Amino acid sequence: MAAAAICTEHLTKIYGDRLIAVNDMNLEVPRGTVFGLLGPNGAGKTTTLRLLLGLQRATAGKAEVFGQPCGPNAVDVRAMIGYLPTHPNLPGNLRPVEYLDLLGRLCRLPSRVRKPRLVSLLRAVGLVGHTEQRIGTFSTGMRTRLGIAASLVGDPPLLLWDEPTAGLDPAARRFTLDLIRQLGKTRTVVVATHILGDIDQICDHVGVMHEGRMIFVGTMGQMKQRLRRDHFALDLEGDPAGVQRLTEEIGRLEGVDARVDSPQTIVVRLAEARPRASTLADILRLVEPAGLSLQAVHSGQNETENAYLQLFQEDEAHGFQRFDLGAGRPADALAGDPPA
Amino acid sequence: MPSLAILQHELRSLRSSWLVRLWLAGSLLLAILILAPGWGSLQTAPLLAAELVPFLVFPWCLVVMVLGVTPMSGGRAEEMADGILCRPVTRTEYLLAAWAARVLVVLGVYLVVLVPAALLITLAERRVQDDSVTLYGVTASLGAVGLVLVLQVSLGFLLGTLLRSTLLAIVVLLFVWLPVNIVLDTFSLETFSPISLNRAVPRLLRQPWSETAEAAAPAEGFEAVGSWMDRFSAAFSAPVESRDPKFFQREGYDDFSLAWVVLGYASATLLSVGLATTVFCLRDL
Repeated sequence: MAAAAICTEHLTKIYGDRLIAVNDMNLEVPRGTVFGLLGPNGAGKTTTLRLLLGLQRATAGKAEVFGQPCGPNAVDVRAMIGYLPTHPNLPGNLRPVEYLDLLGRLCRLPSRVRKPRLVSLLRAVGLVGHTEQRIGTFSTGMRTRLGIAASLVGDPPLLLWDEPTAGLDPAARRFTLDLIRQLGKTRTVVVATHILGDIDQICDHVGVMHEGRMIFVGTMGQMKQRLRRDHFALDLEGDPAGVQRLTEEIGRLEGVDARVDSPQTIVVRLAEARPRASTLADILRLVEPAGLSLQAVHSGQNETENAYLQLFQEDEAHGFQRFDLGAGRPADALAGDPPA
Repeated sequence: MPSLAILQHELRSLRSSWLVRLWLAGSLLLAILILAPGWGSLQTAPLLAAELVPFLVFPWCLVVMVLGVTPMSGGRAEEMADGILCRPVTRTEYLLAAWAARVLVVLGVYLVVLVPAALLITLAERRVQDDSVTLYGVTASLGAVGLVLVLQVSLGFLLGTLLRSTLLAIVVLLFVWLPVNIVLDTFSLETFSPISLNRAVPRLLRQPWSETAEAAAPAEGFEAVGSWMDRFSAAFSAPVESRDPKFFQREGYDDFSLAWVVLGYASATLLSVGLATTVFCLRDL
């Protein structure tokens, strides 16, 4: 069986015996997936990517890319990775063609391959019209697009993109997300971000990091299944008195709690045992007789966002349960004994 | 190919650096300012050289060291990690290419200023004396002073790697470099000090190649190697045996040993580059 694109075992990074950036991370990213590495600022996403690139050394554990160990001198590993840092810090004195040509030479590409490729990359990221400008004069969006082209110079099978949509205008963001979706068809893409909307649109797998720990790894479907969909909101149009009447009628249904959230919105909460589809059908049947018009039904918040926040709440709540109290203790130790 | 690509990239960056341009312009201006008024009054070529060399090389040591510091520290370190070291390049390849680029630029600027000045001095119709400047003397002097510059770049490189802050590295370098003459004097190693080299340059300029050539002429095959080894070891033992605490007070600097100085500076340079490489390979970016 082919090795996973990325595999880490107990990967740990501690800065100066003080700051735990990555904490005992076990991660497997399947080949050919678009993997979203999700987490708030400071969760350890960038450190994880830099450990994979060998820019930083792991304090403990190991990381592999396509079965090859990562490290500062793992040139073969870096040859398989296209890296896009957050707000790429590029040499301002170079022009785009010169910069991409330099990277092509670093990737050991012969001139006959390098030259046509860099032209097609510049065209793909929409920078053909800016080849006369020095990189120092580029806007954030242009730098990101050039960084994207730079990550693709070596035609790597794995892309590690760190917050690729940070600081981009809506058009540039749309372009980047479309590109990721497109690239995901032919290679493995890891996108580190804290923007949930991006993950929702492009990723098929997701890993959620919190305080250096990987608290969830799975498909997007699995993540959303974790969300308890026990409430939703109805946006209505009509007389506020009608809205109030409808709320009372819904509240009389068995296992359903309803309240007016705003003059035109009713929030409905279902008891756990109550079947969702049929209850929703029962509620919708009451709308038109009440003289109201239904504008929208939604769950109040983005599903991914809810699942994400729920994961954090669970992680915080578990506290000491996360710690394996049995680790390092003799097999015959009593259950109540303190750890050695 | 990556090493060559990095070397060319670094050379291009340095060429467009305001620091290098300022240094080049400043050196040329200084050379003109020194030579023009002294042209009539300075009678011999060694006198002109003695006037020129200290002002063209040693005052610029800070610029040379700053050039050495910059690739490994501050914002440049981030640019290097994001732009180059995340590509299929080893750290050693990057480090040695960046070091070589700085050495080439420093020696380039130094030679661009000094070689025309030296040629001007040599070719000028000066009163020829018995101890006039020689081609060997000029070459040896340029080489020895160039080696000091290479050491300065390497020291900057080492401290830039050890200390991530550019400013801190420069401050530490100044604290290391400025009292170097006093420290070497304390340990009776004044022959290695830049001051002694500076003062020995006029004598070195007058030193004829024939001294060495004559000694080497009868030696053939193994005898030649043996003779060379004898002179080599003599060169290293001489300063130790004949050490005089009043080194700086003598005028002749007869015990100034070029081989000893070259070996001293070259060893320190290699040590600095070796340490910088080791530290850089172990460091997080």
